[in-house]
Amino acid sequence: MAQGETYFRHSLKVNDYLCAGCTTCMRTCPTGAIRIRGGKAVINDNKCVDCGECIKVCPHKALYIKQDDFQLIENYGYKVCLVPATFIGQFEEKYKTKAIYSCLKKLGFTHIYEVEHGVEFLVDLYKEYMEDHPEIRSFISPYCPAVIRLIQVRFPSLVDNIIRLKSPLDLAARAILKKLMDEGARRESVGIFYVTPCAAKIASVKYPVSQQDTCIAGVINMDFLYNKVQLMLHDSDKDVKPINHTLTSRDVLWPLSGGEASLFRGSHYAVDGLQNVISFLEKLEDEAIDAPGLIEMRICDQGCVGGVLATNNRFVARKRMENRARLFERLHRKNEGGLEYDDSEFSEQIAQEMVIPEIKPRSLYKLDDNFAEAFKMAERMKKIEKALPGVNCSACGAPSCAALAEDIVRGEASIDTCIFINRHSQASEDAIRSIWGDRVKTKEINNDENK
Amino acid sequence: MHYTFNIERGNFTDAGQASSSVKRTLKQLGVDPANIKRTVVALFEAEINAVAHAYGGTIDVDIDGEKIVMVVADEGPGIPNLDLAMQEGWSTASQKVREMGYGAGMGLPNIKKNTDDLKIDTKVGVGTTVTMTVYLN
Repeated sequence: MAQGETYFRHSLKVNDYLCAGCTTCMRTCPTGAIRIRGGKAVINDNKCVDCGECIKVCPHKALYIKQDDFQLIENYGYKVCLVPATFIGQFEEKYKTKAIYSCLKKLGFTHIYEVEHGVEFLVDLYKEYMEDHPEIRSFISPYCPAVIRLIQVRFPSLVDNIIRLKSPLDLAARAILKKLMDEGARRESVGIFYVTPCAAKIASVKYPVSQQDTCIAGVINMDFLYNKVQLMLHDSDKDVKPINHTLTSRDVLWPLSGGEASLFRGSHYAVDGLQNVISFLEKLEDEAIDAPGLIEMRICDQGCVGGVLATNNRFVARKRMENRARLFERLHRKNEGGLEYDDSEFSEQIAQEMVIPEIKPRSLYKLDDNFAEAFKMAERMKKIEKALPGVNCSACGAPSCAALAEDIVRGEASIDTCIFINRHSQASEDAIRSIWGDRVKTKEINNDENK
Repeated sequence: MHYTFNIERGNFTDAGQASSSVKRTLKQLGVDPANIKRTVVALFEAEINAVAHAYGGTIDVDIDGEKIVMVVADEGPGIPNLDLAMQEGWSTASQKVREMGYGAGMGLPNIKKNTDDLKIDTKVGVGTTVTMTVYLN
């Protein structure tokens, strides 16, 4: 596919051996990033936002998230496992958190932290940011990386509404690094490995929107680690040592839909699920809704428990995390023995490091940089779209007739790929007509378009 | 490029399709996001006005190299006092309309704020034609 500069890169890949070219992913993709070429799904890197919907719907398990080699942890003296609270929520409640932690240690990790340790510090940074930008009415949370990219490509006019702060993951990794270095570790000996529930988070580590390096040495898929730990939990869970780090109830709830918004006083919204997010942004862009305050947005239904690498049912996992939060509430847990952010010099420094300098709009709609040329293309596209049957059969390798029309004017496809327009025999003419009647077009339209 | 849409009285649910469709084209043309926003906000306001007050109507949008011209023409009660209607907060919207979150009396003032040129032809008992122009440069 013709592409200029590539500004997005992904860990989401197609396994050509398994892909049957069935078009399911292509017709699901919210940004129209997928085409069928050579009988296989091909992803346009600049259009993909890592939402993971294609992985969820693929009947052949042909889409996957490329993770780092687990052996990579052996390169480091300090092998740190950074797990989201969502990971703990994957396990049945009969398994204690410390049993899960102990399995991670048996797998070779020397230190284990949960990602959400710093969210209260982060919420303060959010609030400061909101106070510093009185000209903005609706603030969109930067937490879900797929939402940020979706806004960049589909809603570029809303880019300035995103709070330009990095995620709890960046914060926790930075604080862990400091803690271990304070204890005498050398920078090169610390390997922090993040366990990701989705394709978007891994992309945000590998190719961050800030274009600044993260402190993360590698990323491990959550389903992979879940399987490893689950096997060990069955084997034995007798060799358990207590772990000191604690989260607060608010930390545990953060990855769930509503967990972020509820920490804000005044007006706030929690929007989850791909289609809900799109329709909210669409209306926000048109000012058809007025949503002052913080808008939490998660591409996955229910938040991170709905991530494509979460193995357990999202509603069950959610319930477990809510139970865990309630327990912590009862115990009046404070963030002790975990990571500290109250050292004022460090917190000032980290607050600066957490700022994302710029989020660039990356409109996927723009047909050409030259307005006159774009205008010509748009007119031609409208004409072609009228000539196409509007059936959206995808046999041309594009998700819809509108998408094919766009591909044609962009010079990436030919109108001859439309099986409705290109009927070679009377038999195929009759067969198609028997199904679609007058919606089929004649070849003259095709010829007309080619003039 | 020309677009035509129909307006159906009281159908708030489907309102916004015209602005969404125009928005998509403007994004394809690479029009500056600020101008897209102005256009879409004005068109949506005008459409909602017609949905709330008129008996039905049409939206015609023309885009050329320099400007976007949007004409929202309705058959309806007309606007008896245009000067009042242009004031922020003035509204004749029914309780039902207000309950849906509209009718705050910001419609016409908001359109004026977001367009470069605004022309309103109205005749009581006949209808209203709102012509809005946004220049691209």
